[in-house]
Amino acid sequence: MAHVFFGVACLVAAVWIFVDVLHASATNQARIRRMSRAAAVVMWLSFLIGGYWYVCFYNADKNIILKGPWPFAHNVFMETKEHLVIMLLLLVTYLPIAASNNLAANREARQVVLWVSGMIALLALLMEGDGAMIAMGVKVALLPK
Amino acid sequence: MNMENTGISKYTISFGLSLALASVMNALLVVAKEKIPTVMAGLKGLTGHHWVSHGVIILVLFAAFGWMFAQANGGLGPRIPVNRLISLLVSGVAAGVLIICGFYLMGG
Repeated sequence: MAHVFFGVACLVAAVWIFVDVLHASATNQARIRRMSRAAAVVMWLSFLIGGYWYVCFYNADKNIILKGPWPFAHNVFMETKEHLVIMLLLLVTYLPIAASNNLAANREARQVVLWVSGMIALLALLMEGDGAMIAMGVKVALLPK
Repeated sequence: MNMENTGISKYTISFGLSLALASVMNALLVVAKEKIPTVMAGLKGLTGHHWVSHGVIILVLFAAFGWMFAQANGGLGPRIPVNRLISLLVSGVAAGVLIICGFYLMGG
């Protein structure tokens, strides 16, 4: 599940950026910008890999889930995940733009990056939780009755 | 990049506003395609899969609105305080999350 790995990498990068921005200075500004670009790259990788899997292979899992005892694993968790992830993609695409400002000297610029990286971390965490519920939906449907 | 008014670049403001708008439009498109069969059929017809079309439309809107907002004020970009930008940004994302989660929690 490469998309999970890259999603977690995005989550870790977002938390890293958040903490680094709290202590922003001339010495870590370049690192914050590099990490912002890295967060965007890994999230795009996660989106493309996960999206390919979803479009090409998820239908089999969906049928299993809907016949099992946890249909909400698809009806709620997968449906919200597949649409919230688009917003996560917008946020990570925006992050390097926000981080391109002078964070060391500008408090307002730091506030924008803090809010954006914070929202990325929360949404990424939500995506991981949704993914876990979807996987459990398949598992419980395959348990012997 | 213009930094004379607020201390942040015009693209930070224009794409921030665009992100807020695209987040709400993403959520509204979810409701529209789930409730109106012709919208769902149209999205499927565009690329072969409704979710792929949905994603492409939102990403294109984000890029287009971000670029358009950056052209405001004779190319200087929108002039709004950063606190206002953050409020709009967070409100837009929160509204998008609440609409999507609320919609599916209520049974779609």
